[in-house]
Amino acid sequence: MKNIYLLFISLMTTFYGFSQKTINGTVSDDQGPLPGATIIIQGSSTGVTTDFDGNYSIEASEGDILEFSYIGMEGQTVTVGSQDTIDVVMSSSTELQEVIVTGYGTSSREKFTGAVAVISAETLEMQPTATFQSALQGAAPGLQVVSNDGAPGAGISIRVRGIGSISSSNEPLYVIDGMPITSGSLSTTDFSNGGRSSNVLGSINPNDIESLVVLKDAASTAIYGSRGANGVVLITTKSGKAGDPKFTLRARYGTQQFAYDGILRGLNSTQYQQLHYEGYIARGTSADEARNLFATQFPLNDAGQNYNTIWLDEMTQTGVVQEYDFSFSGGSEKVTYFGSANYFDNDGMVKENKFERFSSRLNIDAQLTDKFKISNNVNISTFDQRGITDGTRWQAPFYLAYLMAPTVPVYDQFGRFYGDHKNFFMGGNNPVGHLYDDARELSQMRLTDVFEVSYEIMDGLIVKSDWSFDLLKVDEYLFANGRYGDGRRIGGYANEGGISQTNWLGTQSIQFTPRDTGNHNMNFFAAYEAQKVMTRTIELQGEGFSHPDLKFAASAANPTQAFSARSDYAFQSYFARANYDYNSEYFLSMSFRRDGSSRFGPDQRWGTFGSIGVGWNMTRLIESVPVIDFLKLRGSFGTTGNAGIGNFDWAGLWGFTRDYDGNPGAAPSQVSNNLLTWESQENFNIGIDATFLNNKITLNAEYFERLSSDLLLDRPLSLTTGFTSVAQNIGDMKNSGIEIDLGIDIIQTSEAFLGVNFNTTTLKNEITYLPEPIVVSTKKREQGRDFQEYFLFPWAGVDPANGDPLWYLVNSDGTINYNSTTNRVGDTERVYMEGKSATPDFYGGFNLNAQYKSFSLGMTFNYSFGNYLYFNPGWVIHGDGRFTPRSTTTYAFNNRWTTPGQIAEFPRHRWGGNQSSNQRPNSRYLYEGDYVRLKSLNLSYDVPTDLFGNIGINQFKVYLDMNNIWTWTKADNLPFDPDQAIDGVYNTMTPLAKTTSLGVTIGFKF
Amino acid sequence: MNKMKNILQRSFLLVLSISLISCADDFLDLQPQQNISNEAFLQTFDDFNTAVLGLHDQLQGGGNAALYGRYTLLVPDVMGEDVKQNASANRAKEWAEYNGSETDFIPEDIWREFYEAINIANSVINSEFDAGADLTADLNTLKGQAYGIRGLAYFMLCNFYAQPYSFSAGAGHAGVPIVLEFDFQNKPARSTVAEVYAQVISDLNQAVTLINTSQKSAGYFSKAAAEAILSRVYLYMEDWSNAEAKATSVINNYGYSLVSRDLYPTQFIDGLSSEAIFEMIYNTTDNTGSNHIGGMYKITGYGDYLPSNDWYALMEDGDVRREMITFDNNLIGPYATLPLGPARVDKWPSEGPLNGTDNVSIIRLSEVYLNRAEARVNLGNDAGAQADVDIIRQRANPGAAAVTATGASLKTEVYNERRAELAFEGHRIFDINRRKQSLARVLDCTSVPQACNLSYPNNLFILPIPDGETNSNADITQNPGY
Repeated sequence: MKNIYLLFISLMTTFYGFSQKTINGTVSDDQGPLPGATIIIQGSSTGVTTDFDGNYSIEASEGDILEFSYIGMEGQTVTVGSQDTIDVVMSSSTELQEVIVTGYGTSSREKFTGAVAVISAETLEMQPTATFQSALQGAAPGLQVVSNDGAPGAGISIRVRGIGSISSSNEPLYVIDGMPITSGSLSTTDFSNGGRSSNVLGSINPNDIESLVVLKDAASTAIYGSRGANGVVLITTKSGKAGDPKFTLRARYGTQQFAYDGILRGLNSTQYQQLHYEGYIARGTSADEARNLFATQFPLNDAGQNYNTIWLDEMTQTGVVQEYDFSFSGGSEKVTYFGSANYFDNDGMVKENKFERFSSRLNIDAQLTDKFKISNNVNISTFDQRGITDGTRWQAPFYLAYLMAPTVPVYDQFGRFYGDHKNFFMGGNNPVGHLYDDARELSQMRLTDVFEVSYEIMDGLIVKSDWSFDLLKVDEYLFANGRYGDGRRIGGYANEGGISQTNWLGTQSIQFTPRDTGNHNMNFFAAYEAQKVMTRTIELQGEGFSHPDLKFAASAANPTQAFSARSDYAFQSYFARANYDYNSEYFLSMSFRRDGSSRFGPDQRWGTFGSIGVGWNMTRLIESVPVIDFLKLRGSFGTTGNAGIGNFDWAGLWGFTRDYDGNPGAAPSQVSNNLLTWESQENFNIGIDATFLNNKITLNAEYFERLSSDLLLDRPLSLTTGFTSVAQNIGDMKNSGIEIDLGIDIIQTSEAFLGVNFNTTTLKNEITYLPEPIVVSTKKREQGRDFQEYFLFPWAGVDPANGDPLWYLVNSDGTINYNSTTNRVGDTERVYMEGKSATPDFYGGFNLNAQYKSFSLGMTFNYSFGNYLYFNPGWVIHGDGRFTPRSTTTYAFNNRWTTPGQIAEFPRHRWGGNQSSNQRPNSRYLYEGDYVRLKSLNLSYDVPTDLFGNIGINQFKVYLDMNNIWTWTKADNLPFDPDQAIDGVYNTMTPLAKTTSLGVTIGFKF
Repeated sequence: MNKMKNILQRSFLLVLSISLISCADDFLDLQPQQNISNEAFLQTFDDFNTAVLGLHDQLQGGGNAALYGRYTLLVPDVMGEDVKQNASANRAKEWAEYNGSETDFIPEDIWREFYEAINIANSVINSEFDAGADLTADLNTLKGQAYGIRGLAYFMLCNFYAQPYSFSAGAGHAGVPIVLEFDFQNKPARSTVAEVYAQVISDLNQAVTLINTSQKSAGYFSKAAAEAILSRVYLYMEDWSNAEAKATSVINNYGYSLVSRDLYPTQFIDGLSSEAIFEMIYNTTDNTGSNHIGGMYKITGYGDYLPSNDWYALMEDGDVRREMITFDNNLIGPYATLPLGPARVDKWPSEGPLNGTDNVSIIRLSEVYLNRAEARVNLGNDAGAQADVDIIRQRANPGAAAVTATGASLKTEVYNERRAELAFEGHRIFDINRRKQSLARVLDCTSVPQACNLSYPNNLFILPIPDGETNSNADITQNPGY
């Protein structure tokens, strides 16, 4: 390999030297001159941009091909002949000609053989959430985007074409300006609530993004080799254009409430008293005693009455989101720049739950000489997040709001948060007080720098060297006060953690575009890449604070825990790609990548991936058909890998986290598997791109199959081995489906525009090979079945005679026997909920864009159909009295059984539980997840700028933006927001917000 | 100029080429930095010492504290009549109410954590290492401790998951799988109870042989611990003479003495008392707080379980063991019935920053006397049994009269003394079951009605094999009734 490469280099270096001349000209469109249009000599890095009057000047040789491009215009090429002047008139491009960023290069819809989703900058600008990821929801086919948690700055999950892995990561690879960056959650303390509440991508200012492309099939992802299997999200940040400086100021202010109207409410004290009484009566307690049990249990207010605390109201508020973004761009012919500064602030709907970001960016491109070009994109950002204990832990607002008895006061007689340790109030753990007196904080600093230098060795041959850094520093701080709650009796505790991560990447590449090949157009690309990611974690904890204002571990009387971890991983890769087309009618592309990773066993360290893509532009063939403007068929096949596992999962290890009697101890912590390697994936895609009726209708349709094999599984072991599981490459899975993206421009005049866009994705998932079924929580994974199919105890409702729970019995073939029921869950068993899965049948989005003169209206809907959601904490919140003396929801109260003969949804309330009516996991807590949501409605008005006189304002847009303002759910009793984690399991995380904001965008030019 | 360019260009390419060459093989060969690979561990004496400390830690707190940290002690008592369930009980509730299933976490955690202990012990036992002449005795002690804890683990697994030794003639009924070597693909079937007991006795005898007598700290497995546990094992097997012999050996040969009445209530606070033979050391760095077994009973902890009047009635006024309770006026109704009143167990009394730092006994000298008393009454040595009971009873209550009962009524005295003395220390349901007795909550039962009286033999006196095991091991058989 090395020798071939050197030979290639020496061959190339022998060609050199040719004559040049100066070409001048003007670039314009039907409106007049175009400043900032780009002119590049094809296959070189030599390029210039037009000045303010559309004029340019470039050194070129006869036979060179000049490429003229301008955003939104159809690109043109002109071969340099004997002339010295080349004027070009450009016309608006169709979507087909627009440049799209692909892995390690660019292409256009017209030429590309792969399947990609393109999300425009407008979709990402000034969204009311901290990350760009939420804007992807419903925006393009093939992407399933869900919120893991609705709290400010929390995580978002994206699945590209379904779930391709069982236990490894299913998240796509995020690449920003060519650098694969860390995504997901980085947190060492409890802050992140199991990874759901923190998101390192919160540092990226969405307004900085020029284009966002999701690579979906092998032709586009195979160049990312062992990290391409879950799709790749390519983020390209904005760059400047030659011309006078332009300034843009964007501001937005909005308020937030719960997006879903059906979220549960807690009981008031009258309802709770009734329930308390019934619960004891149902146990056989006498009426007098039951009354006495309530009367003697709870504290009374000054008037001698029970308190009436509506805990949900005490813990929540109207949220506020505000964002201010200032950007500038411009440049000379040789140097262009883009810079921005951003402030984003979100006070959540839970009190004291906050996210605040500062970010700045500077992107510079410089043409140092004709041959020599450098660019540097640097971004610094910090954010501070104040989180909450969320999920199904004590203190979690959307859990405790129902479980806390309304008869417990929020404040005590001194005006402090009530914190007495009582039977009904373990540890005095006041969930409202926890929000104020305790702390959960995370701060992140991130510095991303992408440096590129390119040099044109000879006409058509460019070498590039990219050096990128992604530096992350996360600091966390948890504090529990010493008076009540978790820190009670130990004088309070503080838990401080820090993670620092250094991620560097070096890519050395060479690309070659041969000249004078007639109708045969081709280019070649080869590269070597190395990446190393080093993560350092430190965490410590101390207890015992002598003063309420001392809150950090340094002042703790008793240091209780010190932890540190170091973990590194590295990738090393060789890759290449060749593209060929004949007369822009027949297209062929091939890619290849050889990847090595430290994450895999020494015997399985290297893997090879590749793809082939073909395309056929049939437009010429169907010229006679008047309605069709463009028609292209394409197909691709290839292999990718999924390396998204832990850093040392292959090694047999002893762990050293133990201590006994003050001395360190060790125990086996991991089973070894030297054969552990990446999951591999075969991807098949065929697609059609067409436009009709003078480009008024655009259609993209795809059929895809993802065959994932060697799936890494934590294969359950007999517990007698001392382990619960071992990571092994076993199991195959198939995802297949159809994606349709249809756009129709209904009205298009000089004054008015109306366009709609509809996209949908169907998804079928099947486990095609699994030696033994695996039961995981609410699901059972078995060959021949959907990965997300529920496996639950079959709930049969409530016995009208006595309010007892009823369960269906199960036939010997594993199906539900709907004719016979039992009270005892032990008599039945868990069964598949046939056809009920967390995988949607289809999902997607629907947009409408309308414009009339200076007004415009945009609406975006997203939807999901055919999926089921599981109310995981239902067994506690709707436990029919299983947890004495926990309260419940008004919904359970209103629908409980009270009288013989009553058809009720909930069994009779009985303290201690009604015969395991809440046995988990059971189908009683399963709901239809179908929903449609108006994700955004944006109404804007462009104020005529001449109103402002001649002070430089050239844009003044005001808008009203409403997000998640309307939601339809199929299940009218769905007790939580329908936008839930990919596995469909609701764990009482913060629900999603609906946001109503006002905003303004002001453009200046001096 | 052209030359300049060429130089520039070539040097650039040189850098590129070097970067290709420099991708040395070890770039990808990264090692974990806070773990040690299997190949590199158990290569020094210190490694063995660290592993045996890890093994003690496993018994003490491993994972979800299902062993002596909490459930191994709690569950046998909540299934018996000396403990009643508080209204707010949320933890071992399914087992106190005899309504548990194989999907519950308790049977899974106890099962898994004992087998994790067995795996650590197997690693120590099976690793060949020549420590050199100076350290051979110490290495043997470490190996002996691994054998001893493995024997204890198999014994406890049998108690929880198998019917008692006396359940069938020759104890040929299902016990638990015996695993002596690590093989991750192993899916073992259950050995018979007789086979498991043979393993238990063999392991404990190895411990007796290997452990140096200089290892005396009760916080660590010792030769005396092995003999003391053997006395309990033989008792459970109804091998009365061996039970008596082992008990006598412990009483006579190791210099233990019962703590005085005055020091009795604080013996677990300070720990390592004169009668402690093997106990788990807890200190502030273990940070157990209310998750300690004490927290299951105390008002300042979870307070899930309360002492019962059945237990209280076993003793007379003046008995120090009656005084190891506190009162909580929030308890009312059936949770506060007289004569005991609104009482809570206070056997592990430390509070505040020291909450959860009281030691937890696995075996102490009191039990050894009571083991011998029970062996002796079954051997017909009534006088010996009376003497042993008196030692325990009169230590707690100097005013108590000497035992005069004989025969069957002496047996009841022996049984009751064991209940009074070892309450809340994780014995009760095992004692009921092995003696083929029925469970009868007489004076108060706050649990569900079906948990108040259960007769022998009873499927529910033992735990189910957890579904975590049955799902991954087709060769394992479930206990009847689950």
